[in-house]
Amino acid sequence: MRQPEFEAISPEELELLQLERLQSTLTRAYRQVKFYRRRFDEAGLTPESIQTLADLARLPVTTRGDLSENYPYGLFALPLKDIVRIISSPGTTDRPLVVGYSSQDVKLWLELLARLYTAAGVTPEDIVQLVIPPGLANWRRDLMAGAEYLGASVIPAATLNFAKELMVMRDYKTSVLVTTPPLARHLIAVMDRMGLTPAELSLRKALLVAAPLSSPVRQEIEAGLQVKVATAYGITEVMGPGLAYSCTADQGFHFSADHFYPEIIDPRTGMVLPPGEEGELVITTLSTVAFPLVRFRSGDLTFLNPSPCPCGRTLVRLGEIRGRVDDIFSVGGIKVHPEQAGRLLQDLLGGHPPKFRWQVATEEGLEVLDLELTVEEDFFSDEIKALEGLCRKVRRHFQDHLGVPARLTLKEIEAR
Amino acid sequence: MLRIRNLYAYYGSVTALSGVTCHIKEGEIVALIGANGAGKTTLLNAICGLVRKKGEVAFQGREVGRTPAERLVGLGISQVPEGRQLFAPMTVAENLELGAYLRYGREIRAEIARDLERVFHLFPVLKERQGQQAGTMSGGEQQMLAIARALMARPKLLLLDEPSLGLAPLVVENILATISRLKEEGMTILLVEQNARAALKVAARAYVLETGRIILSGSAQDLLADRQVTRAYLGRDYKEFTEGR
Repeated sequence: MRQPEFEAISPEELELLQLERLQSTLTRAYRQVKFYRRRFDEAGLTPESIQTLADLARLPVTTRGDLSENYPYGLFALPLKDIVRIISSPGTTDRPLVVGYSSQDVKLWLELLARLYTAAGVTPEDIVQLVIPPGLANWRRDLMAGAEYLGASVIPAATLNFAKELMVMRDYKTSVLVTTPPLARHLIAVMDRMGLTPAELSLRKALLVAAPLSSPVRQEIEAGLQVKVATAYGITEVMGPGLAYSCTADQGFHFSADHFYPEIIDPRTGMVLPPGEEGELVITTLSTVAFPLVRFRSGDLTFLNPSPCPCGRTLVRLGEIRGRVDDIFSVGGIKVHPEQAGRLLQDLLGGHPPKFRWQVATEEGLEVLDLELTVEEDFFSDEIKALEGLCRKVRRHFQDHLGVPARLTLKEIEAR
Repeated sequence: MLRIRNLYAYYGSVTALSGVTCHIKEGEIVALIGANGAGKTTLLNAICGLVRKKGEVAFQGREVGRTPAERLVGLGISQVPEGRQLFAPMTVAENLELGAYLRYGREIRAEIARDLERVFHLFPVLKERQGQQAGTMSGGEQQMLAIARALMARPKLLLLDEPSLGLAPLVVENILATISRLKEEGMTILLVEQNARAALKVAARAYVLETGRIILSGSAQDLLADRQVTRAYLGRDYKEFTEGR
C-alpha cells in the first residue's frame, strides 16, 4: 500500500477528514467561483449549511452542460497565475472540456497515480510500456507521469505500428503493459499474426484503462497475454486515472475517498441511494484547489461497496461500471456523444441535417465507429468519386475532431 | 486526540468562527495560519472554553464542549497565551509553581519537583534565573517561561498562541527549536502563528483560516509551496508574482 494512513484509514477518521475537507472545498467554491455562489444562493444554502456528509445531498448537482456553459475558465477557483496546467479534451459537448491544476493539484494527482500503480502490483523495478492512442492524450500523459513518479522505467506511448510495439515489448523486456481493453485485444491478434507467443515476452501485468472491461474480455486478455490484469476508473473532469483503482483482491475499484466524495444517485429523481444500489456516480472533490467540483454527475452507472476488502484497504469500492445514464458511448475508450457525431456529419454535408445510425464495431479487437448515412437527394451525387470523397472526409473529420476511427457506409433512400 | 466539528464561537453578537471542523492526532504539530482577525486565537480560546461557543469538541474521545477552562487543564489541555501573560513581579520559580497549581494537594511535591527539573533541562536558562523576577527577563526568555509554565500542568495537548510575536529572528529560531524538541518528546501541539513561514517549518500539517472558516488544509510542505498561501500569509508581495508576466 502506498499510503496506508489514508488507504486503510478507520471509518471514523475518514468521516471527519472528509467533512473538514468538504467544508473547506465548499467555502472556497462559494467564495471564489461565481457559478457555485449563484447555485448555492438559489438553493438558499451557504457552505455553513453543510454540517454532515449527508447534508451534501441538499446541494444541486453539476453537469457536463454546466462545465460547457462556463467554458473556459468560469469554474476555476484560482486566478490563472496560480494555475500551472490547463488540460483540454474534446469533451462531449460542442466545446472542449477544460480543467485547471495548481501545483498542489499536480502533486496530489501524481500521488494518486502512484497509489493506483502500487495497488496494481507495479513496483519501481518494473519496465512499464504504454500503448495508448493519441485520442486519449490525457490518459497517456497521466499514466506516464504516474509511472515515472513511482520510479518505474517507463516506455512512453509512441506512434509505432503494433508489430513494432510488440517488438519493443519483447526486446526491452517490458514487464507491465498499460493500454486499453480494445488495444490489448488487438495486440493479441497481431501477436498471432506474427507468430509471437507470450512466453517470448517478459510481461507479468496489464493495466487496462479508459474503457469498461467485461469479464469475458478480461479472461481473453489474461489468457492471450498470460498476465494478471489490473484496472482503474477515472474521468478527465476529476483528475483522470487515479480516482479509483483495483487491488489484488480485484473486486471493484477502491475510490480515493479521502480526496473525492462519492455518492450514488437515482438518475431520474436525483435521490441519494444507499450502498449497494445501482445508480449514477456523483463526485465532489475534497482536496483539489484549482478546479473544485461540487456533486459532479459522472454519467456512469455503478454502485458502492463498503464491505471490507481482503487487501486491507478501507476505501469504499466502486462496483463495475454497468453503463451510462446518457447516450454517451465509448469508442476505444474515447467518449462520444451521438450529437457530436451528428454535428460532424452535418458540417460535412454543408449544413444539411443528417439521417444516420451508428454502432461501435470491432475489428481484431480495435473499436471503430460505424456510421450508416441515409443518402438524400440534396447531397446525392451520381459520381462514385464524390461519394468516395465523402467517406474519406468523414474518416478524417472524426479522427481530427474526436480521435476516433470511423467508417461511413451509405444507405440508399428507401423507395417512396 | 482532538476532534472539532462545526464549531461556532461568538464575541457578543459577532460570530468569530462559523463552522470549523478540524482534528489533531496524537504527537502531531498542527499550525493554524491566517490573517489578522481570521479566528485563529478564537479557535484556541474556544478549545480552552474561554469564549462562548457552539459545536462539538472531543478530546481523547470525550466531549469537552461544555467543560470549563480550569477543568480542561486538568484533562490535559494547556494554553500558552499570546503575550505570555506571566506574573511579572513574581520570580521564575514562582511562575512555574503556579503552572502546577492544579496538582498541588493531589500529588506529592516530589513529583512536581521532578517536573521542574525536566523543564529546567529543556530550558537551562530558566534554571539559572530561578530567582529573577519574570518581568525583568528578555522577550525570548519570557516566552520560554510561559511555555515552561504550561508544561508544569503536564498537558497532553499544548496550545501555543503566537509564540514568536515580537521576538528577534534568532530568538524565534530558538523557540521553534524548543517546539520541535517538545514534539520529539511526544507532545501534541496546536500552533497559532502570524509568522506562517515559521509555523510551517515546524508543523506537519496546517489549516488556513479565513474569516472564521477553514479554506485550505494540507501538509505544511504543500502549503509552503502554495502560491496563494505564499501571497496571503508569507509576506510576499502580489507584485512579485505578477511582474514580468
